[in-house]
Amino acid sequence: MRLDLHDEHQAAFRPPRRGTARAAPTMEITPEIVREGLKRSRYVTNERVETAIFLALAIDKPLLIEGPAGAGKTEVAKVLADLLSTDLVRLQCYEGLDEARALYEWNYQKQLLRMQADEAAGLRWEDLSEHIFSREYLLERPLLRAITAPRRVVLLIDEVDKSDEEFEAFLLELLSDFQVSIPELGTIRAREHPVVVLTSNRARELSEALRRRCLHLFIDFPGIEQERRIIELKVPDLDERLAAEAARFVGAVRKMQLRKPPSIAETLDWCRALVRLGVKELDTDAIRATLGLLLKHEDDREKVEAKASALAARTR
Amino acid sequence: MTPLRDQLLEFIDGLRAEGVRISVAETIDAMNAVAAAGLERARMREALAAAVIKDEADRVTFDAAFERFFAAAARLRGEHRDVRRGLAQSAASGRGRPGEEPSPHAVPEEPRHVHARPPQSARAGKEETRESKDRDRARHETRDRDDRGAVRKSPRERDEAAGKSADEHESGAESRRLARLRAIERKPFRDYSDLDYDEARAALVPLERRFRIRLGRRLRIANAGRVDFRRTIRAAIQHGGALADLRFRARRPRHVDLVILADISGSVRYAAELMLALAAGASGCFRRVRSFVYIDRLAEAEFEQGHLVMTPALDLHARSDFGRVLGELWERRAELLNRRTLVVVMGDGRNNRRPARADLLREIAGIVRGVVWLNPEDPARWGTGDSAINQYAREVRALLPSRDLRELSRGLLAVA
Repeated sequence: MRLDLHDEHQAAFRPPRRGTARAAPTMEITPEIVREGLKRSRYVTNERVETAIFLALAIDKPLLIEGPAGAGKTEVAKVLADLLSTDLVRLQCYEGLDEARALYEWNYQKQLLRMQADEAAGLRWEDLSEHIFSREYLLERPLLRAITAPRRVVLLIDEVDKSDEEFEAFLLELLSDFQVSIPELGTIRAREHPVVVLTSNRARELSEALRRRCLHLFIDFPGIEQERRIIELKVPDLDERLAAEAARFVGAVRKMQLRKPPSIAETLDWCRALVRLGVKELDTDAIRATLGLLLKHEDDREKVEAKASALAARTR
Repeated sequence: MTPLRDQLLEFIDGLRAEGVRISVAETIDAMNAVAAAGLERARMREALAAAVIKDEADRVTFDAAFERFFAAAARLRGEHRDVRRGLAQSAASGRGRPGEEPSPHAVPEEPRHVHARPPQSARAGKEETRESKDRDRARHETRDRDDRGAVRKSPRERDEAAGKSADEHESGAESRRLARLRAIERKPFRDYSDLDYDEARAALVPLERRFRIRLGRRLRIANAGRVDFRRTIRAAIQHGGALADLRFRARRPRHVDLVILADISGSVRYAAELMLALAAGASGCFRRVRSFVYIDRLAEAEFEQGHLVMTPALDLHARSDFGRVLGELWERRAELLNRRTLVVVMGDGRNNRRPARADLLREIAGIVRGVVWLNPEDPARWGTGDSAINQYAREVRALLPSRDLRELSRGLLAVA
């Protein structure tokens, strides 16, 4: 079935009204639409990822993505935003991240200025306080921005394993109701539930409670065939045969016990370098000269360099 | 569509019986997921997995169970492999009963080669079965895809599909690796064989990483010291002079010297060596780490290319005598022990009825930052027979069980 992608798909992804979204979750989004959308966003992937993305949209649940660094976890959220042609709101987690930086904060300076101006105008305290605790003086941080957005956005909570356990507990509450209580303003409810994507590198185990509330997707490094397709798509200038060799080489390197196996982005950088250097043949010299783009740890590099000729022979 | 719902419930029950934890909410998610994704086999499998498998290490169990369960249902009706097409078709025709329609062009059933080669040894045999199961599964998948490809896919797409299934097979390797890793993390030390030990050494790498991250974080959190007046005033300028946020001066880095005593007598050897390796990997988080092993005497331990080297060499057949070891440690107190030292003992406290010298341990605990004891024995056996652990327990800051790698790393994190 061929569809005219541009118009019909935009229509299909117009965010459903609250309430109806749950009642008829599968009315418009189908796996085929997701697959086509991913193709359009030039995201090469497999059935597993497609299905998980589709489900996140269809049954309206947060999607927790785990996997090694550089396997394309964050990319999923970007592609999702592209697919829904909506905004991506990103919250990068780090230790010590708190509500003030994730949710909201009062704009203190602005409030002070207002107070000084109002005092000069002789306003009473009651009017004044009503004034300075309004939306105008609220600094929206990513989570609140995702909730108050006028349409359905994609909320990416990146590297949630880096945040503290307390923050994770706070997230749970938010993810279950999509509402926030601000004492001075009351409760703010999401007009449209955002599509939530969480990523984790397993720096620590996430709590069972968080896992239970999310759909789970594990993204591993692509297989050789899939990586070849990614290279061909993103570095079209690279010779087809060389692309296949590069994919095999990277696949073999990842199998070695390294401190940091090369990510997809690094593979692509490396391939671009091969194009720029005009490499015609993936031989030992070419590998030695460009290995710095793939491996960023000295001991990893030594390990691979020692085996470069054997690897080069095997990839041909 | 009650039958499908019942089948799914039964399937989830089966998974639970194999130790996968699935909540009621997740069961409901699974139903919704299948309802949304449809009954096309590969997609239904991924949908179910996304809803109920929250730890990649469980994926191997899931895949095996899925293959067994949803193939078995078909085999009962004598349709076996064509049920997949039946599933897809009945989904398309809106009936949703798996295997309801017999395939229009049934292909004769191929024999399954689950145990193609005889296992070579007990362990290799286990691996073998697992691998050949996977091979079998992969073959099924490939064939399955090829079948469908023949029906409605162009040759190019079929090539892609074949490539994809090869890729999927390859990516299954990662979940198998994770499953093995988790299994070894939870295997009690007393059931270890040498092969298990090798595997556990490999499992230490992610644990070390986690250990470093956690420890580093804890040290940084401890950094908040006294209020830094200058920086607080500077920050207050933004707020019109109100002291809204306090800024703190970083504390001087915490200096901890670690002294590890690990019993390497037969009963707890593996636990001790793994702990030494784990601590060596995290040595950057401490000012100084001194590792010792003991049986009846103390010997300094070092790792050289992954092998434990001790000076002087201990008689591995001696009988444990921790009392004497404590005496030796006490004599070297000027060199080793001060108020920054954290002493971690790993051992079962079985002293062969020799003097326990708990009084010496008390003296030591008095001059150091703390003494912590990790015991690889089952807590139920503590204090039985020749175990003097209860005498020692009174003198130490904490006594923690560490029967497997998981408990060991937790214990180390708790004390460090």
